[in-house]
Amino acid sequence: MNQVAQLTEHSFRHEYGRLVAALTRNLGIRQLDEVEDAVQSALMKAMNAWARHGMPTDPPGWLYRTSRNELVDRLRRANTWKNIHQELSQQSAIISEDNIAWSEPLEDDQLRMLFVCCHPALGVEAQITFALKTLCGFNAGEIAHAFLTSEATIHKRLTRAKDTLREEALDPNDLSESAIQERLASVQTILYLLFNEGYNSHHPDDFIRIDLCEEAVRLTQLLIQNPSTASPDTMALFALMLFHAGRLQARVNEVGGLVLLDEQDRDQWDWSLIKTGFTWLNRASVGEVITKYHLEAAITAEHCQALSFDQTNWKRIDELYELLYRMEPTAIHALNRSIALAYLHGPQAGINWLNKLHLKDAPPGYHHWPAVLGELHRRLGEFAKARAYFEQALAMSPPPAEREYLEMRREQSV
Amino acid sequence: MAAKKFLFVYRGSQAEAASFKPSPEQMQALMASWGAWIGKFMQSGQMVDPGDALQMSGKVLRANGVVTDGPFVEAKELLGGYSVIKVDTYEQAVAIAKECPAHRDGNSIEIRELAGLAG
Repeated sequence: MNQVAQLTEHSFRHEYGRLVAALTRNLGIRQLDEVEDAVQSALMKAMNAWARHGMPTDPPGWLYRTSRNELVDRLRRANTWKNIHQELSQQSAIISEDNIAWSEPLEDDQLRMLFVCCHPALGVEAQITFALKTLCGFNAGEIAHAFLTSEATIHKRLTRAKDTLREEALDPNDLSESAIQERLASVQTILYLLFNEGYNSHHPDDFIRIDLCEEAVRLTQLLIQNPSTASPDTMALFALMLFHAGRLQARVNEVGGLVLLDEQDRDQWDWSLIKTGFTWLNRASVGEVITKYHLEAAITAEHCQALSFDQTNWKRIDELYELLYRMEPTAIHALNRSIALAYLHGPQAGINWLNKLHLKDAPPGYHHWPAVLGELHRRLGEFAKARAYFEQALAMSPPPAEREYLEMRREQSV
Repeated sequence: MAAKKFLFVYRGSQAEAASFKPSPEQMQALMASWGAWIGKFMQSGQMVDPGDALQMSGKVLRANGVVTDGPFVEAKELLGGYSVIKVDTYEQAVAIAKECPAHRDGNSIEIRELAGLAG
């Protein structure tokens, strides 16, 4: 038995979110710090024990019991039990330390926690930061990387978020239907970002992190299974994720390098995922409202429908990107449209479109911007300009896989 | 040459131990590297006892009978855990220690031959 393979079989990241959500549901958001410390400590114990003595028969159960015991110890030490008893006994019959109804960790504890994280009193960035930390098991450094900001900023954001939630005296069990509706958009954004971080990771070693993609798909699936959250935009988001997930394997070559769409082997795509994506995109196409998830899913669907890269319907994709850019004028949509235009009318059309946009659209440190301009000039044979743009992109410290790709393109620009 | 037993004692700096808050993913990676190291030498028969990690706090009984609580602020390095190895020479023990994740993570490993008085 391969011991190491066994040790990585249960994702600690996933367990972390599951345990924090389950224990917070039992004790309330005010104990979040203690809950997080207890779970952290249980994982440390697992790390030390499992490597030496092998896995227990029921790893999730082991972690749950260990976290729970650790939590009881901590609360007892901090003398918090008395306070919790008082709070709880106001709600129900007398509860003693031993007969608190520890619910078994349920799948949708995490979904519930996700909605708690999306409290409107927190700003969007705080919501996402908070969710990534408590639910997805990111540490401050990893979040800082994803947001292109400092670790100190993230720590501050987390502390403020926890203080706010404490002041609001939130009970994770108390999520009314209207609160769920109010927060659904934020929850979708978080899942979208989580998926993106997996699909296009900032991690130094892996530019694809399948576990993050799987986690995002899993949580979105919970959303579409729940009648009050299964709105057309949720379905479109789910379809979008499935289309991308179906192409994940083909994005990596044998040596772990990045393979872009035009060079991907379409036989390697997972057609069962893509087919399911089409089913959900069809279901999402009811009602009057078109969201950015609909447009992005429709664009990805076009790519999936093309039998080869040459047969891509760039006209349709360009129209969709134009709509998307009008709905949400961000640098990424602008860049994507420029690429579609370049395939449709030639590279100069793409460059013209980018030059027409205001400079504020190119955020500082966003290496994709000069990378795309470099590529478009390279295709025009304007190699000096192309090299200058590739240099500019390389100076913005892109992740290793993209760095390699850019260096290769720079070498080809002669 | 008759095989000798060696005790590996893992030590890390107090300051680092206090600020060591790995993410779940980092913990899992650490666990996998320990698992690989232990598994390799269990299989070769050179790992007698993979040992254990130690809790971060404890007690000290001093000669005058006074018991104090740890962690022991006067010690710069904190005892983190131990393992027992069985090889022929110090060189072999050091070679195994060099592959240990504790060493790669910047902690020190003290290597001491057991005197064998217990038979």
